[in-house]
Amino acid sequence: MTTNILNISRRGFVSASIAGTAALALGGRGLAADAPKLKVGFISPRTGPLAGFGQTDGYVLEKVRETLAKGVTLGGKAYAVEILDRDTQSDPSRAGQLAKDLINNDGIDMMLVISTPEVINPVSDACEAAGVPCLSTVMPWEAWYFGRGAKPGQPSPFKWTYHFGFGVDEFYKAYVSQWSLIETNKKVGVMYPNDADGNAIRAALAPKLAAAGFTIIDPGPYEDGTTDYSSQIALFKKEKVEIFNTFPIPPDFAAFWRQAAQQGLHKQVKIVQVAKTGLFPSDVEALGSLGNKIAGACYWHKAFPYKSPLTGLSGTDLADGYEAKTGKEWTQQLGATMSLFDAGFAALNKASDAKDKASVAKSLAGLNTETMIGKVDFTSGPFPNVSPGPIIGGQWVKSQNPKFKYDFVVTENATDKNVPVAAKLQPYNA
Amino acid sequence: MLNQIAQAIVLGGYYALIACGLSFMLSVMRVINLAHGSLLVLGGYFLWYLGENYQVSPFVGLLALVPLLALAGWALQRFLLERSARGGELLPILTTFGLSIVLDNLLFEQFGADTRSLAPYIGDLAWDSFELPGGIFVGQIGVLTLVAAIVLLGGLQLFLSRTGTGKAIRATAEDPDTAGIVGIDARKASAIASAIAVGSIGVASAALGMRATFDAYAGGAQLLFAFEATIIGGAGSLWGTLIGGIVLALAQTAGAAIHPQGFLIGGHLAFILVLFARFLFLPGEFTYRLRRIAGLAK
Repeated sequence: MTTNILNISRRGFVSASIAGTAALALGGRGLAADAPKLKVGFISPRTGPLAGFGQTDGYVLEKVRETLAKGVTLGGKAYAVEILDRDTQSDPSRAGQLAKDLINNDGIDMMLVISTPEVINPVSDACEAAGVPCLSTVMPWEAWYFGRGAKPGQPSPFKWTYHFGFGVDEFYKAYVSQWSLIETNKKVGVMYPNDADGNAIRAALAPKLAAAGFTIIDPGPYEDGTTDYSSQIALFKKEKVEIFNTFPIPPDFAAFWRQAAQQGLHKQVKIVQVAKTGLFPSDVEALGSLGNKIAGACYWHKAFPYKSPLTGLSGTDLADGYEAKTGKEWTQQLGATMSLFDAGFAALNKASDAKDKASVAKSLAGLNTETMIGKVDFTSGPFPNVSPGPIIGGQWVKSQNPKFKYDFVVTENATDKNVPVAAKLQPYNA
Repeated sequence: MLNQIAQAIVLGGYYALIACGLSFMLSVMRVINLAHGSLLVLGGYFLWYLGENYQVSPFVGLLALVPLLALAGWALQRFLLERSARGGELLPILTTFGLSIVLDNLLFEQFGADTRSLAPYIGDLAWDSFELPGGIFVGQIGVLTLVAAIVLLGGLQLFLSRTGTGKAIRATAEDPDTAGIVGIDARKASAIASAIAVGSIGVASAALGMRATFDAYAGGAQLLFAFEATIIGGAGSLWGTLIGGIVLALAQTAGAAIHPQGFLIGGHLAFILVLFARFLFLPGEFTYRLRRIAGLAK
């Protein structure tokens, strides 16, 4: 918020561009002097509706580039590393084009891609087709694996693409664990939209929750961007639900939950468990006083006990560094992006030749390493290209730090017992 | 059922409010302002910035926002629309389209990706409700928005029909050259009209921020709702815009009652039906205007 974009004069812009270009050219020459150069593509959504995910990428890239600035030794051999980061602008077709451009015109040796099916799937597909090793994280792995044409019971069709991180099963474990922390009537009102995530969750998660003894009250899929939810709210009130679960886009949840409060639903519900929204502090701040005690889940938390092997940073180092640098509150995306670099460079390091794509892909298949989000292990997953990761339940509570409004505290750790539980889940309506 | 209808009418008030500036611009200047949604979000950020940094209530913030937006509207007409209008009827529309892209991305550069809302600065008003007989609850903010829409649209209608400036604006809209002959400064009338249209967006910004959330790219969806309400209401009649907003919301609610996914489709269907019905059965002023805007008629 300190930059003033309107201040840039035309002359200032031109001279800054020239200086920037010169610096890039010089930097490139310095690195290319002796060691062979390794190019790693990094694709994420930095602008557009998914920009919340990419907001912290600039800081993580800066830390990674600091570490790699003097080159890196992989498999006993020294390399200069160039990371080519690209912004999909939240557009799936642009994501695919960027991937093809990095593969064909920049000749990257490996692709790293992160956050949501709209970014990852088209990039993974382009890499699979071109035979470039590709590693990804931060989307339910089922939507990555089955969503790209793999069939259950058949061998994996993917040779070049690998994905790690949470899936529906982890959500299931986290929710059952979280919802047992408070006495309720086990009636769960759900709002799953008609989109890739919502339909996957309705098909895969809801039946498992029902089997675990929860009564699922589902008014049916709704379209993203709906502005009035009175019929759903009326149903939840009639059925006396005490748990509420949703996977909406953030603006829809804010509109829905305010209407629910207008109708008095917030006085009845004990657990408000949200996913996809409530990932980042700004989503919760936007709810005003209704944001307090919203429960969520995280794929990383600064309390995770793991260090980034690549940069040597701990969770608190990374979160505090980001807050000091930007003045903004840390988000769970920081650790996830870092873990992608951790795992990617671990695979490059274990490959017999980091410049040889087949050897990197082979190394990915046998990868078993620790990253900032914990273990990434492709040798023991449900499918050869998938390594499931944790999703940890928690709750947004009033921040201890006067600079920020809400903190996310861990309330359960069913999917990774090493993560310390920090607080007891409080009923939303208490 | 009664509950749904009550909610739809309140929601319709919101649609009418966000459509107000767009409708005014279309009716008196014959320009579809495609930057309408982006200006709406810009206003939201302005109010948010005042609330976040200076603890200014959005209601107080409006006192500053509306004049500033009016000034922006005046500048928009003087420096962009007036010049681009020399290149034909379609060019001002393309100009506003370009402006919306510039605004969206400038907002993103400045404010980043965070979802924002004005709810934190109005306390419990964001979700307090009135209880009507029959156990129906309507949100206070929704009722306030509906009242604001009625006052704003009614006020503008009165202004156009009763005041000298209003008449000058209408005359300019009909025929700038003839208006000039009778001594109306057409440039001035157009600039005032644009200032009013854009200034009124400020009130809609407050409504958007209080009832929901926004981010830098949230303008597109709001523009669509505003445009649908404007067209359903008759493209240029201000009272029609209020009806248009409520019809849009009722159609959406009816869609959702048939199937939960039907909410948006219901609204789109009503929009298309009204559009075609007007084209086919009411070949009058409305069709003429639309054709003119689309470049089909002179």
